[in-house]
Amino acid sequence: MATTTTTTTTPPVLPPPKRGRMRREQSLAPNYTVLGALLVFALGPLLILSFNALKDRAELGSNPLGPPLQLNFANFAEAWEVGNFAVTTRNSAVLVAGTVAAVLFLGGMAAYSLAKLNLPGAGPLTMYLLIGSSLPIQLYLVPLFFAWQRLGLVNNLFGLILIYVATNAPFAVFLLRSYMLQIPSDFEDAARVDGASEWQVFSRVVVPLSWPGFLTVGLVVALSVWNEFLLATVFLTEQHLFTIVTSYANFATRFSRDWSLTSAAALMMILPIVAIFLLLQRRFIDGLTQGGLKG
Amino acid sequence: MNVGIERPLRWLAVAGLVALSPLAAVLPTRAQEPAEIQMWFDTTGGSETADCIVANAVDPFNARGGAVSVRATMQANNWDATRTAIAGGAGPDIVGTPGPSFVAQLAQAGQLVPLSAFAEQYGWADRFVPWALDLGRVNGELYSVPSEIETLVLYYNATLFEENGWEVPRTMDELMTLAQTIDEAGIIPFAHANAEWRAANEWFVGEFLNHGAGPEKVYQALTGELPWTDADFVAAIEMLNQMQQNGWFMGGLDRYYTATTDERLAAFGEGEAAMNIEGSWFMQDVNAFFGEEAGNENDWGWAPVPSTDGEPSYTLGIGQTYSINGNSANPEAVAEFIDYLFSPDTQAALVTQCGLPPAPVELDPADLADLDPRHAELLGALNEASAANDYGYTTWTFWPPETETYLYEEVEKVWAGEVTAEQYLQGHQERFDAEREAGAVPPIPAR
Amino acid sequence: MRTSVALPASPASRTRPQSRQVFFRKKVVPWLFVLPILLINVAVVLGPALSAVYYSMTNWSGLGPAEWVGLANFQRLAADGAFRHAFTNNVVWLAMFLTIPVGMALGAASLLAPVKRGSLFFRMALFIPYVLPSVITANLWRALLSPDRGIPAALTDLGLPGFDRAFLGSPQTVLPAIGFVDNWHWWGFLMVLFLAAMQNIPRELYESARLDGAGRWREFMDITLPGIRPTLVFMILMTTIWSFLTFDYIWILTQGGPAGASEVLAVLVFKEAFRNYNAGYASALGLTLSFFVGIVISVFVVLRRRGWEI
Repeated sequence: MATTTTTTTTPPVLPPPKRGRMRREQSLAPNYTVLGALLVFALGPLLILSFNALKDRAELGSNPLGPPLQLNFANFAEAWEVGNFAVTTRNSAVLVAGTVAAVLFLGGMAAYSLAKLNLPGAGPLTMYLLIGSSLPIQLYLVPLFFAWQRLGLVNNLFGLILIYVATNAPFAVFLLRSYMLQIPSDFEDAARVDGASEWQVFSRVVVPLSWPGFLTVGLVVALSVWNEFLLATVFLTEQHLFTIVTSYANFATRFSRDWSLTSAAALMMILPIVAIFLLLQRRFIDGLTQGGLKG
Repeated sequence: MNVGIERPLRWLAVAGLVALSPLAAVLPTRAQEPAEIQMWFDTTGGSETADCIVANAVDPFNARGGAVSVRATMQANNWDATRTAIAGGAGPDIVGTPGPSFVAQLAQAGQLVPLSAFAEQYGWADRFVPWALDLGRVNGELYSVPSEIETLVLYYNATLFEENGWEVPRTMDELMTLAQTIDEAGIIPFAHANAEWRAANEWFVGEFLNHGAGPEKVYQALTGELPWTDADFVAAIEMLNQMQQNGWFMGGLDRYYTATTDERLAAFGEGEAAMNIEGSWFMQDVNAFFGEEAGNENDWGWAPVPSTDGEPSYTLGIGQTYSINGNSANPEAVAEFIDYLFSPDTQAALVTQCGLPPAPVELDPADLADLDPRHAELLGALNEASAANDYGYTTWTFWPPETETYLYEEVEKVWAGEVTAEQYLQGHQERFDAEREAGAVPPIPAR
Repeated sequence: MRTSVALPASPASRTRPQSRQVFFRKKVVPWLFVLPILLINVAVVLGPALSAVYYSMTNWSGLGPAEWVGLANFQRLAADGAFRHAFTNNVVWLAMFLTIPVGMALGAASLLAPVKRGSLFFRMALFIPYVLPSVITANLWRALLSPDRGIPAALTDLGLPGFDRAFLGSPQTVLPAIGFVDNWHWWGFLMVLFLAAMQNIPRELYESARLDGAGRWREFMDITLPGIRPTLVFMILMTTIWSFLTFDYIWILTQGGPAGASEVLAVLVFKEAFRNYNAGYASALGLTLSFFVGIVISVFVVLRRRGWEI
């Protein structure tokens, strides 16, 4: 199947190291070549997506892949309007912000305990969290809804955030843990010797040192909330609480959907992610070196 | 209390939440407005159709200034949301389901309000076509009213037919001969594929059972008088298989599985494909693929799906139903709105303004003057067939759920050559027997 | 820079016998850190999920009362050919996803790690496919894989044999084809996770390796792989779990077809719960699925007890 993948997975064949001379930098030309090929693989289909965002429905049926014959920029405005994105984007943003903040804060604490504090009972806890995350949520949707209904948490963004925190917790906690394991214990031990409490060790030493991990986990959790469908459509049934995923349903046609508008909408939704990347650029790249001196 | 969980488990679920209850207490809970009733709905036409439904059915009702007002919300995942909410003791006052077999489930679980008294009060028996209303009965009591009547017809590219001098087929034999001719002319006979909707398999399977073996035999099989392994059913499935093997659906089995809805319909409009057996719902969209709007100069026509003897015959189905939630605080108000929704005037507005398939109620032809004449003609023929009690049976209305799933999924194994038509129908019989035993077969109206 | 911070741990703190304080610090404090998120998880998952255990021993339809049937659902499952077929497909899926995306992501991440110019651009661009909703990715690739108008058509025009076929429409190729589409959006995500782990590897290690004249391959094997081992092993574990749960792309592209060739366990669970209304049997299927996952996790936990730092 994947002709493009097999050529790229094998590590590049390397020239024999030049001996007798210390090289501070290796040539990066092979890196750029392979990465460039992967770039085409990743972005090529997105180019088609942006073509499709500019076609009308009839043209899309007869010309699904080529460049558009005429540029139909109205699709973006129409998609924004028809999809009710002004409302749904705001709700999704609240859900994402709430969930990410809670998961990073509470999940970070749990990860610290698992990675650094030799938590008694870590084995059973791991079993519980991961097996729990393997149970399809459809199987317990009704009891969960029943409980949330009684607690007044249905049609309530906070109620859904609680669910998202729970369902995202296992993956987030263990991924954060895996990043924290890489941090040498010397730093924490030094802080403890200086009389720091575990909370101070966590917040002043470990968190700054694992910034790239936190950002990565935050991004992953954000995306899973942003694209979540089943829980969002079952627990939020009032118009003013609808999320991004319901916007796409507005483009439905019988047994299919209006792919021109859907493509335009999808393209618009990539922009916030790109913005986040750019905003966090320094943190992403320099996280380690910035945090290394504190504590 | 009608909730879907057992008492101990319910306590367990609530007990697990004790830690969170302080958080919940500070949050505002939404009290239900006494005079407002909630309606959730979905539409296959996206938000444009949704707005049209609200403008033509809900707003006029609210504008009458009665004691109740309706708040209608389109739900992206309507059936999952409705089903979960009802099982959890909540949900909208007006419950829409995707068909009568779903109603039976809710009614048997005691989640719906019986409608017989309202039907009498508002005279629904005189307004709805009898067989369609009867499909809403569960153990004799009425629990839902039908909101969409459907059939399948043969659409054809009229321009292409005219250019080539092809006659519209009336019998199954003519259909097969014509498809052969079309195929030899290098044109795809049927713009039929299932890539985006796997259940589309059942359109042809159902039509071939009904039109190949005849609706009478299907009736007998559905009522348990005739086995599904009858030679006529086998012959119908074999005929369909032959058509698949000939590559008459989008050019081959692999294309059948991968051609998208837009792709096959564009091929139909542009004359790369000649015919299409599809539901009456397609009337809503067909003009998007033909003529000026689609950038071609072709026109379309429709005819009844051919039958063995050439007599016109229609399979009928119900695509949507409405019921009253057992959790509703205001069932009388809901009944009042349902009565308004299914009045001939409202239905005519929904059909002509929003292009919706009509409910099985008598519509005044004068009200349909705005409609494409071909569409109006189909609605007339439908009414006639259903009034004459002479119709075939769509699989998604008259089959029990598990047997229906088997019918459209396992037929692919016949096409793949993994099982024979007899083996396929034998398996169908086994599922059907089990569900019939369990009482899951919808009430089949007497012929 | 870093060495100045790393003072040797003082032995004094260990010699003082303050057993209550030690107990608090060693046993209670770790749990205080875990407790908040654990409580939320228990409220959302554990209580409701226990009900699934109960339902798996009933004939519940998903609504209304449930009738106790004991282990009948599990007996039915043991004899269900569709279950075995789906399980086999899950294993094939697992084999695909443990090799191809992991290999691609490791390769790309280790190539990207030393890159400075354009680093953010590459990272963002390779990650973007993961951002799109699955329904859009799936439909895009359905068009791209069209044998008449997509990439296979272009390859056929170039004279390459074997591409004049609908890869998603043939029982022989459908599973790898869906895997290919899923992987298109997946591997970039994996790469970003690996890259974040690689950034935590002290640069001095690479510098000293270069002084010893190590080539890229040795660097990768001796420094990069051991350096990111916790993340790598964890993602292999998660890949295994998720391979048993895979659903989205299969459901959107084929719903398990053609002729059942792409049926997997999660598709079976969904159909039984929401198509056939056998919520009891669906629960039994789901629990069996979790049981397999439990076995995988046990192996992981046991290895960790034996002292693997993963």
